[in-house]
Amino acid sequence: MNAPPVDRRVLLSLLAAGAFAVAPHGGELPLWIIAVFALGGAWRYGIEVYQWYRPGKLVRFGLMLLTLVAVFRQYHTLLGRDPGMALLITLIGLKFLELKTVRDHIVTLFVFYLIILGSFLYGQSLWLGAWALLAVALNTAALLHVMQPTGMDMPARLRLSGVMLAKALPLMVIVYLLFPRISGTLWGLPADAHGGLTGMPDMMQPGNIRRLSESSEIAFRVSFDGTPPPLRELYWRGLVFTETDGHGWSRGPVREAVKVSYVPLNDPVRYQVTLEPSNKPWMPALDLPAIRPRGARYHPDFTLEHREPIRERLNYTLTSYTRYRTGALNHAERVGALQIPRNTSPRARALAGQWQREHSGPLQVAQAALDFFRRENFVYTLNPPLLGDDPVDEFLFGTRRGFCEHYAAAFVTLMRAAGIPSRVVVGYLGGELNTAGDYMIVRQSDAHAWAEIWLPERGWVRVDPTGAIAPERIELGLDAVRRLELQGVVLGSLSNEAVRRALELGWFEHVARQARWYWDLTNLTWYRWVVDYGKERQERFLTSLGLDDISWKRMIGLLFAGALLVILVYAFFLWRPKKSADPALALYLRFCRKLARAGLVRAPYEGAHAFAGRAARKRANMADSISEITGLYEELRYGPGVTNQKKLTMLKTKIAAFRA
Amino acid sequence: MIFMSVLPNNSVILGRRQLFMLPTRFGLLFAALLVVQLLAAINYSNGLAYALTFLLGSLAVVSMLYTHRNLLRLRLSASACAPVFADEIATFRIHLTNDSDTPRFGIAVMNGKKEIARVDIPARGSADVNLSVAAVKRGWLMLPELIVTTQFPLGLLYSWSRRLALHHSCLVYPRPAHPTPLQTLAVESLEAVSGLKAGGDDYIGAREFHPGDSPRHVDWKAVARGESWHVKQFGAGYQATAWLDWDTLEGLDTETRLSVLTRWVLDAEHDGMLYGLRLPEQTLNPSNGEAHQHECLKHLALFGLKP
Repeated sequence: MNAPPVDRRVLLSLLAAGAFAVAPHGGELPLWIIAVFALGGAWRYGIEVYQWYRPGKLVRFGLMLLTLVAVFRQYHTLLGRDPGMALLITLIGLKFLELKTVRDHIVTLFVFYLIILGSFLYGQSLWLGAWALLAVALNTAALLHVMQPTGMDMPARLRLSGVMLAKALPLMVIVYLLFPRISGTLWGLPADAHGGLTGMPDMMQPGNIRRLSESSEIAFRVSFDGTPPPLRELYWRGLVFTETDGHGWSRGPVREAVKVSYVPLNDPVRYQVTLEPSNKPWMPALDLPAIRPRGARYHPDFTLEHREPIRERLNYTLTSYTRYRTGALNHAERVGALQIPRNTSPRARALAGQWQREHSGPLQVAQAALDFFRRENFVYTLNPPLLGDDPVDEFLFGTRRGFCEHYAAAFVTLMRAAGIPSRVVVGYLGGELNTAGDYMIVRQSDAHAWAEIWLPERGWVRVDPTGAIAPERIELGLDAVRRLELQGVVLGSLSNEAVRRALELGWFEHVARQARWYWDLTNLTWYRWVVDYGKERQERFLTSLGLDDISWKRMIGLLFAGALLVILVYAFFLWRPKKSADPALALYLRFCRKLARAGLVRAPYEGAHAFAGRAARKRANMADSISEITGLYEELRYGPGVTNQKKLTMLKTKIAAFRA
Repeated sequence: MIFMSVLPNNSVILGRRQLFMLPTRFGLLFAALLVVQLLAAINYSNGLAYALTFLLGSLAVVSMLYTHRNLLRLRLSASACAPVFADEIATFRIHLTNDSDTPRFGIAVMNGKKEIARVDIPARGSADVNLSVAAVKRGWLMLPELIVTTQFPLGLLYSWSRRLALHHSCLVYPRPAHPTPLQTLAVESLEAVSGLKAGGDDYIGAREFHPGDSPRHVDWKAVARGESWHVKQFGAGYQATAWLDWDTLEGLDTETRLSVLTRWVLDAEHDGMLYGLRLPEQTLNPSNGEAHQHECLKHLALFGLKP
């Protein structure tokens, strides 16, 4: 077992494997930790190649203590994910200094496997997965090198490692899919397990929806059962704001729904949402959701809220009705939906009062407000000017340039001043249909704010003041608006034809968009099957296989059966007697078997020629055919040029006819 | 189904029934590593961690097949061992032949617990391993039973073969006695000189070719005609003939007698005499040459032993 100490080339294999394993941690851990690892490796290499100073036992022990102290000073603990990884990486770096036996090398390589796994605790992107596969292949090649220092060069080792991993993959997939997943954790996650995330804010201050809309990060993805509704109906309800201090908007007191109901007026839309983690509990749903997904609360304002902030990608299935009639308002709701601060712009109040007097019903008042926006030279822009203390007043009578949130806030203020219950809804509008995977991508940039007014006969009715100013935003989406704005087009001023021309994509943009869609599909698939593959998805996967409500015992049984099947397939190919690749050799071996039956056995060291001589001497009567067959065989096997089919056939007939 | 096949020429092909496998201590350590990784994967519900754990586990399973394949259908045979004298070292040459299209690596040949050699065998190639065994006493020395083992590729598993008997043996001549005092005794027992001495210039006949004969004496013309190989013998007009006789050594025990006779055979051959050997119930007529010497020594080596 105690093989001789391993050489410089083995050390290089180890260093390469270590570098690949540790590299992903470079972005997550303090650099000095990576540096300790790198220096440990470099020092050992220097010792082997340049006869640098070789540290004794005491020095190594001192270095180890020093590292322990440094890690403790960094984190003030030695437990948890970060200090754990830091210890593993620094100590294995120091381990390089004392590598001696095969055992040392093997243990080091095993720790590298652990370090590779550790990098997944910081993220599970497709790139990291690919990198880790590479690192595992290198590590396995290094393991091969340690165990088998002779006979194989680096490419051969890498090839063997790659082939073995490729053969391991089908087996891994079976175990991966069928190993019973549990929900929740074993011991609870350390506090440092979640980082910064972006999502819909829980307050609406002027400008913060716009800020959100600058992020092209994906908010969620939706796949519809059947055709998706048209873009202008894709109002993704996130939060409802009823309370305002004249400046910002907030949700107001949250009441659990006693019984939320509405009358659907069209066919239901069914869809699955894959929500990106936002560290916020809001679960966007198409106006208006009809069911409550597991783990969510349904508020009386028809919004869904998750029980805890969403820190991991969340999947839920929903049914919504895009046309509906809601019920009556109770007193508290009515009061809340009419509340405006006392100091709100007197000019706005006067304007609203005027509309109230001039028009017969709330719907007409709302229409008057929209006409006002359209008539009075309001501009929808992605870059509105900053507003001061009374943003509604400044916007309505001053700047008149705003983003959706400005219009929604101003509209709702005007409605409330006119005595119409109303509220602001924020969420997302539209989305990008990814034709590659037939699903819709909704980004943070699709964030939108609109208004709802309450009409006695219809209940809550959605009114989107942005539509009055910039119908393109509703019809074409924010991306189109952004591009139109870049081209200097004034929104609302162009004919449909002109807009379509302005939005036409060049071939390059077209290809780029297709590539982007496929890439997004790849990512989504990766999320679904790797990052998000937990208990719930596993259940769904098994159901799709027709295995509903399967017990974990049966799952384990299934797992072993599947794994065994793969192993048996491999073993079959392994144990199957191989036909010789060379037909001439196969024929010759048949000839040898015939001679062996007659008592003439070819010795292992005996060449065909020598054997033929011996056989011919023993069996003089067959000497001619023996030498003929041997000659043909030698010519076919060792002769120049390609295999001669005619001669092969000749050899075959001669051997068939041969009787020893 | 592959069983161990003992082929006619004493070679053995390793079949599934001859091969065993157990994890090494590194294999056990690897299993512990997998447990730690699995716990981390479960605790963090981390899909990639699950994937890595299962990938490494599958890798270990696949490596099991590789370890097995590394020995499966390996062919072992031994080639003729040159006879040695007692107290010398007999060297068996063992051929490991790889009939498959994949190379085999890190194959250790063990004699009991002792590793004799570790070899790599290329695809459709072979490797030779020399096994030296002390020849303690005259007679047939059997090739010890061998075990073939491997830990290839990842060192996680250890596969070994059952004890393999290649049924090969080496002839051990008796240990030659010290020459001086016994030489005289031998001289006394010499019979009268009868007249022929090898090594002269006259053609005195032909005999069959034996390995070791000088190529200068081969009858090449006959070989060219396709006849079997012969050597021409040349001689001078006379040659001493000696009878090496068991009975002249009365009073000594059997082994000593055989030792002395062995010494005499060697000396007589060295001196170019014609010599015959007289053993109880066995007589070898006077002759000389390597083949005759071997024949004499073989009779001495096997004297009194059961065939």
